[in-house]
Amino acid sequence: MTAPQVPAVYRAPREWTRLHPVSPLLGGWAVFGVIGSIALYNYAPQWTGVDPELQASAHWLMGSLGWVVAAVALIVGASIGLGFLQWRVNQYRLSDEAIEQRKGMVFKQHKQARLDRVQAVDVVQPLLARIFGFAALKIEVAGGENSGVSLEFVRLGDAEALRNELLALAAGVKRAKAEGREATVDAIVEEASTAQGADAGAGHVADGSLRDLISQPAGYSETAAAPEQEIYRVPLNRLLMSIVLSWPFLWILAIPVLAGVAVFALNLDVGRILSAAGASLFTVVPAAFALFGFFWNELSRGFGFIAALSEDGIRLRHGMLETRRQTVPPGRVQAVQLRQSLLWRKHDWWRVSINVAGYQDDQEAVSTLLPVGSRQEALTALWLVLPDLGDPDPAGTVSRALSGTGADGGFTPATTRARLFDPWQWRHRGVRATDRALLIRRGWLVRDVFVVPHERTQSLAMTQGPLQRVRGVADVTVHSTNGPVKPVARHLDRADAEALLASQAQRAAEGRKRQTPEQWMTAVGLREATHE
Amino acid sequence: MTWEPSDDAAWTYVSRTLIPARLITLWIWVAVPAIIVSVVGSLTSRWVFAGLIALAVIGLWGTWLVFRQVTAHAWIEREDDLIIKRGRMWRTVTVVPYGRMQYVEVESGPIDRAFGIAKVQLHTASPGSDAQIAGVPTAEAERLRDRLASRGEAQLAGL
Repeated sequence: MTAPQVPAVYRAPREWTRLHPVSPLLGGWAVFGVIGSIALYNYAPQWTGVDPELQASAHWLMGSLGWVVAAVALIVGASIGLGFLQWRVNQYRLSDEAIEQRKGMVFKQHKQARLDRVQAVDVVQPLLARIFGFAALKIEVAGGENSGVSLEFVRLGDAEALRNELLALAAGVKRAKAEGREATVDAIVEEASTAQGADAGAGHVADGSLRDLISQPAGYSETAAAPEQEIYRVPLNRLLMSIVLSWPFLWILAIPVLAGVAVFALNLDVGRILSAAGASLFTVVPAAFALFGFFWNELSRGFGFIAALSEDGIRLRHGMLETRRQTVPPGRVQAVQLRQSLLWRKHDWWRVSINVAGYQDDQEAVSTLLPVGSRQEALTALWLVLPDLGDPDPAGTVSRALSGTGADGGFTPATTRARLFDPWQWRHRGVRATDRALLIRRGWLVRDVFVVPHERTQSLAMTQGPLQRVRGVADVTVHSTNGPVKPVARHLDRADAEALLASQAQRAAEGRKRQTPEQWMTAVGLREATHE
Repeated sequence: MTWEPSDDAAWTYVSRTLIPARLITLWIWVAVPAIIVSVVGSLTSRWVFAGLIALAVIGLWGTWLVFRQVTAHAWIEREDDLIIKRGRMWRTVTVVPYGRMQYVEVESGPIDRAFGIAKVQLHTASPGSDAQIAGVPTAEAERLRDRLASRGEAQLAGL
């Protein structure tokens, strides 16, 4: 067994430290504002002075332009000044058990992201930051709205080093707690440096006290990221095709056709229609923007999507103008959903979404495990999250979950009595528990499969409305953390629902007792199975 | 773990004093519009008083509903989890494992306090788990909170 990879030199500051001084400039479009007003100021007299006949009006325009420039400069200056004041009070540090941040001038905030509660660490680069080589580090923790720590901005190299350190420390804290040792940052660093000191290769970092190590100037040593292994990537042509095969895109294509049919077949008055369209321009434009926004989101979310596996957990990279590198540590995925819309069925494409506790804003963008992929890739994505499904034939079982109906693949189907109020979907609904996870299948045109690891179940509920009561039908809901995946097994026979509720509560209790990150590592092949 | 009376699980039903507590709230909500209707009716047409009948019907229906709901609201403390059932028309049985509880909240408004009852609310990391027990006698609520907290502490599993 190799020693767990824990860096010996830490760049994470133990004292309160400010973010990079350019942060206020990167925060918004202030820089463009500055450049724009400088350009305007420099070139405006030339533009207006070209034509001598326009001197008089140009003179007036120049006067007013000067005012405009001054106003813009004032606004930009004020926002930068304000940003700078905020930057001054925005500080972070690594304390014994948490990464802490304090900020705010008027309303002061002090946030603590406990290392043992870290759910995901993301390196995010908005366009401007990306151009200049900076990044924001977002540390998501379990519990409460807005509890994550967001460091905007630090140099990209610093952000990556910090991420690697935090993930290594978080894993160290968990391990130390599990083994009943002291779970503070100092103890873990001490242990790691002695472990590396024993290693001949560790060389220059091993000697000197911990304080010396920490007080080394930033950039002294890089903490290498845990080596990663690429699992799949999404090619651009498939991503584009998947967007073309989505309902909003088809609607856009259909609108001119429908309009043409309406005009010619029904012999409508074109002029009247056009004037009506003109009158409703105010409704058309926002709608067009909304649609464009949809495509843009889909494209930028899946652009350059790469999933990789490392000892730190699952790594996801994606984004076009704003890039995001997510790291989700082992066992932090709460629930998985595989979805196929009707138009994707011909290619057998699937989208895989996940719930990760802690992600609050922009759920869709951060909760995609696979934007579009073949069945095989979808199964691989599921395997990443849940390497051991607790089933002798995981691929077969999930495949039958993806495209089966009724009792195929050992599923408990929805009862026939639900036909009355669920005429289309009841045939496709079903639920099945393996040793490690609960699988729920649903959907007629749009197929959905939910997979919830037993140990990640938060709570369970069985519900029944008046109509269901008459027909002896009930729903079972599995509560997961906040996110796009909301697993529910609807319209089960009442006896089946009761049995599922009871057995699922039992399985969740057993699952909680045995779950460790080491299991995940062994299962995905990062650790030897002989480990302890 | 079901709603049926045949269920032999050891349900602890909530205090019946929840019925008067809820009825007071309900009838305040009925009385305020009733006064408005009466005033408007006395100033305008007698037909407006028909609204009073409608309000009375709503109030009586609500009263019946309160009786039905309170008598269906119960909980069981088991080895690993707490089970709560509630509702008559839309019925729910919720299972909350102690190891998943983030915190327990005990809440009681002025009317609840006058009747010596409180609401115990369990919070997990899921916004979906709506686990609350209304109408628990205050002493029992305190005891329940402490017991849930200590069991949660003992069994707390990381997310």
